[in-house]
Formats: sequence, structure tokens, C-alpha cells
Amino acid sequence: MRTTSAILGKIFTQRFYIQNTGFFLVLFYLLFGVVNSANLLAYHKGLMLGFLGNYTFLFLVLLLWTSYALKCVGFILKTFQLQGYDFLYPTMGSIDRSARRMIWLRLHTAIYMPVLVYVAITLVVAIRQGYYTQAAIIGVINIANCIWPLRLYERKLEQPDVIFFTGNLQRWLNRHFTKPPVLFFLYELFTNFSRRIVSTKLVSAGVLWLTFLIMDRGGYFDLRGLQLGVMISVLTHMQLMVHHRAFDDTYLNFMENLPVSLFSHYMRLTGVYVITFLPEMIIIGVNAYAKTTPWGLITVFCTALSLLILFRTMLFFPKMNPEVHVRYTMLTSFIVLFMVLGHYEWPAVLLLQTASAIIFFTKYRTYEPYIESGS
Amino acid sequence: MSEPVIALHAVKKNYQDVPVLDIARLELPAGIYWLQGENGAGKTTCMKVMAGLIPFKGEILLQGKVSSRQHPVQFRRLINYAEAEPLYPSFLTGRDLLQLYLNTKGGNPDDIRAISEKLGVHLFVNNPVSSYSSGMLKKLSLLLAFTGTPALILLDEPLITIDTRALAVLYDLIREYSAKGVSFCITSHQPLDAEELTVTGTLKVAHKNITLS
Repeated sequence: MRTTSAILGKIFTQRFYIQNTGFFLVLFYLLFGVVNSANLLAYHKGLMLGFLGNYTFLFLVLLLWTSYALKCVGFILKTFQLQGYDFLYPTMGSIDRSARRMIWLRLHTAIYMPVLVYVAITLVVAIRQGYYTQAAIIGVINIANCIWPLRLYERKLEQPDVIFFTGNLQRWLNRHFTKPPVLFFLYELFTNFSRRIVSTKLVSAGVLWLTFLIMDRGGYFDLRGLQLGVMISVLTHMQLMVHHRAFDDTYLNFMENLPVSLFSHYMRLTGVYVITFLPEMIIIGVNAYAKTTPWGLITVFCTALSLLILFRTMLFFPKMNPEVHVRYTMLTSFIVLFMVLGHYEWPAVLLLQTASAIIFFTKYRTYEPYIESGS
Repeated sequence: MSEPVIALHAVKKNYQDVPVLDIARLELPAGIYWLQGENGAGKTTCMKVMAGLIPFKGEILLQGKVSSRQHPVQFRRLINYAEAEPLYPSFLTGRDLLQLYLNTKGGNPDDIRAISEKLGVHLFVNNPVSSYSSGMLKKLSLLLAFTGTPALILLDEPLITIDTRALAVLYDLIREYSAKGVSFCITSHQPLDAEELTVTGTLKVAHKNITLS
């Protein structure tokens, strides 16, 4: 008969490593693949001595390890919310508290193990080289990273409805703040698909950073160059748009029974993308406010938002699957790019807005998810 | 004969190429109707069409003047719908949904608060719906169906999953609202309790059509 630990290991530990295979492959490559194998030990020893000898560097490394601990915590807490995993509440809830704590500790350390292995080697190096204070800091932080999540797991069992780490804050927010429909999709992303929104935003920010870097290195600033970067940044949001449609189709059908005008629905959709693109607008504003006029910035923002809204409204064509959607968005982007290069930014914005409004107002009430019929 | 509360004219509904509903004409005077039909006959589709949740061909008129095509907002103000198996985004609380319905459908918040307390929804209204059982979700969905000032309330399988106390409250509410002139269309595979409700007519969904008997 399999032990409880073995079964829970299959549910948590195995699933964690299987789901994060890609992440570990990239990490493995960065740690062991970028250096000649003959220099591997020296490379890692140098790396360890680097952060042991510099407190700022050490702080960054500790931050990185703690981020990984957060990822582990997020994974375990999210498992409890997955469909079909409800049985964990009555089963784990029936285990004696002290035994359950040991189980939590085993599960958490099993998925935190890659960090613990690296930490163990680092501690040996630190003690041998006489970095006792740093070794103590590393030891304390990592022991803490193994212990504080256990309290959260216990709390999750006691309060199944708590999504965020701070249950009291969430309860307070739920009592005092009503979520407006414009934020529904963002809530969905941050509560259930945080990795998707974070990775999209990181890639999008990376594109903008690269755009400004290229222009800085070239010693020039051209609004059209920035707009090209912004268009690529907009294209990184494609998977969010497809997800947005699926979310609306699955969960927001009840909204169709509300006496809300088409214009309000359109404003809600526009609002979703204005808020979604706000971080990029801040990045652009901070980096470009001294290099262009406010009007130039408004032009860039309007182009980006018009593209986002049009790309989303295109998905009101029921047969527009992700593959077809990519084709149309690329085609639209090329047309807009040539208009931008020819300094026809505002006619492009006008065209995009008109197309979005026409599609939305004609399609919204007649839209119905398309179900592919089996061959 | 009094003005029909709802009138369906040449209503057709297809799922892709498969016709599901084809109703040439159906007019229902005010009252309580029991919508019957076998599994897959199209009861829920019919209700969703009436509630404006899914697109269809043809036209539906409420109170003889509010058209589903020409007055989509007014139409939705007059018709409420409670799904058989309600599904909401996991992060929303019952309070979020209630507030949204009250903000859009209108109506007296005190009345809704009173119904909420009768059904026991107030006990969990501040929790996210992800923590609700199917019975709690059902109660919330029924409560939402009583928001605003509807002329017609569509209840899809309201008798399932709720407890006996909530069922008694629901029968009371239907009687109370019916006395105020609100009509009901209720689907149920279980017979409606004749001692609790006097049904005006029975609607049968079969062969893509609805007939009133």
C-alpha cells in the first residue's frame, strides 16, 4: 500500500517538476550550459565567491531564492484551487496537525530542493573561505523560506476561499470594495493565470527596453522607431486577447442578461486594454517624455490602444481561431507600420478605431462561440 | 385576453448548422408557466434565447412593446434569468455580483437584502464564489433573478440542489412576485408542488417547437 507521503508527493512534487520542465531546462542551461565543462567548477566557485564577497550581490541572490520559494508556495496553494483537487481539504484536514506539518515540510522542501542543494554547496564554500556572517545569513533565510510557507498551507486548509497570501486583507477588500466589470479579466489573470500576465508584461517591457536601447546607442530618437517597438509590444499581448475571449465566453455569459448598452460594453472592452497597457505607457512616458512632445506621446499611446482594441474585436468573428487571428493581426500591423513610416499615424488611428467600432457594434450581440465540428 | 407578457415571432435558433428551435409564434399572458421537455429538447436554449443570452433569428416582444431587437437594454431590464448550473468567475464574491445586478437592473436593495437573508445568502455573500457549494451558487443565482423590476423571470431547474428551507422560501417568493404581476417560466423535471404554486399553463418543448397547454 502506498504511503500518504508518496501519494501527496505524486500530487505535488511530481506535478511541480513535470509542469516546470521548461523552466528547469533553461535554468540548467544557464547554470551549466553556458560555460566550458572544464571551467564549470571554477565558474560556480567564482559565482559563489562573488555574492559571498558583496552584500548587494548577496541580497539579489537571496531575493532570487525567495522568489523561487514564492513560486513553490504559489504552486501548492493553487493546487488546492484546481478542479478535482477538492478532496485535499477533507483528507489533509483529517491528518493530525503535527504529522501534517511534517508532510507540508517534506512537500515544500522537495520542490524547494534545487535551491537547497545550491545553498548547501555555497555554505561549504563560505565556511571554508571564512565568510561566516554571509553563511549565517544564507542559512537563516533559507531555513525561513522552508518554514514560513507551512503557516500559509495550514491557513489554506482552514480558509479555502483565501486566494491571496493575506487572508485578512482579502476579506477586508471583499467587504469594502466591489470589483467593477472592467477589472474582471485582470482579476482572472492575476488570481488564476499570474504567470501568463507576468511573462507577457516582462516580454513586452523587454521589447520596449530594447527599442530605447537601440535608439540610445544610435544616438537618435525617432517617434516612428518607438512606434515600431510599441507595435511589437502590442503583438506580445496576443495570447492575452485569445484568453480574454475564452474568459468572456466561459464566465461572463450572465452579463448578456444585464440591461447594459452596447456603448457601455465597448467602453468596458476599451477600459480593459487601457488598464492592461498602462505599465507600458508608464515605461514609454518615463523614457520618452524628454525626447518628444506630449502630442508625440499621445500619438504613440493612441496607436497602441487602437491596435489592441482592434485585435480584440477581431475575435468577435466566431471562426477567428488563434492561427487565423495571428495572420490578420500581422497584416494589420504591416499596414499600420507603413502608414506610420509615412507619417500617417492619425489616419491609421482613425482607421483602426473605425474598424474596431464597426466590428464591435455589428458583432457583439450576434457573437456566439464557435464549436469546431469533429471530422 | 390580456396583453401577452412575452411574444415570440418566427424565432429560430441554430447551433452551427443544426436547428434547435423553430417557433413560428408563441404568446404567453401573464402567469406562471411550467416549461417541460426531455433532456436535450431545447428548454435551456429557449430560456437563453428569451433572456437575450444567445443570438437568434426572429423577434421577441415583452409586454407588447419592448422588442429584443429595437430595445435591447429595456428588454434585458424586463427579463431575468437564473441558470440551471450557474458559473461565475472564481474571484468574484456574491456581493460583487449582487452589486453589479443592482447597479444595472435597478430595484430596491432593501428587498434584495431581505430575500438574501431569507435564503441565507447573506452568510457567505462576501466570500469568493470559488468557495461556494453548488447549492450556495444556486441560491445566489436565484437571488440575482429577483433583482430589478422584471416582468418575466425565467428559472432554469430552480428546484435542484437547494435545501428544503430555501425551496419553501422560493415558492413564497414566486407567489409574492406573481401577485405583484411578475410572470414566471420555470423548467423542472420534478413536478411543481400543486399545493405551493398554481400553474397558469404548461409549455412543452418538442420537435424544436413550444406548445402551450
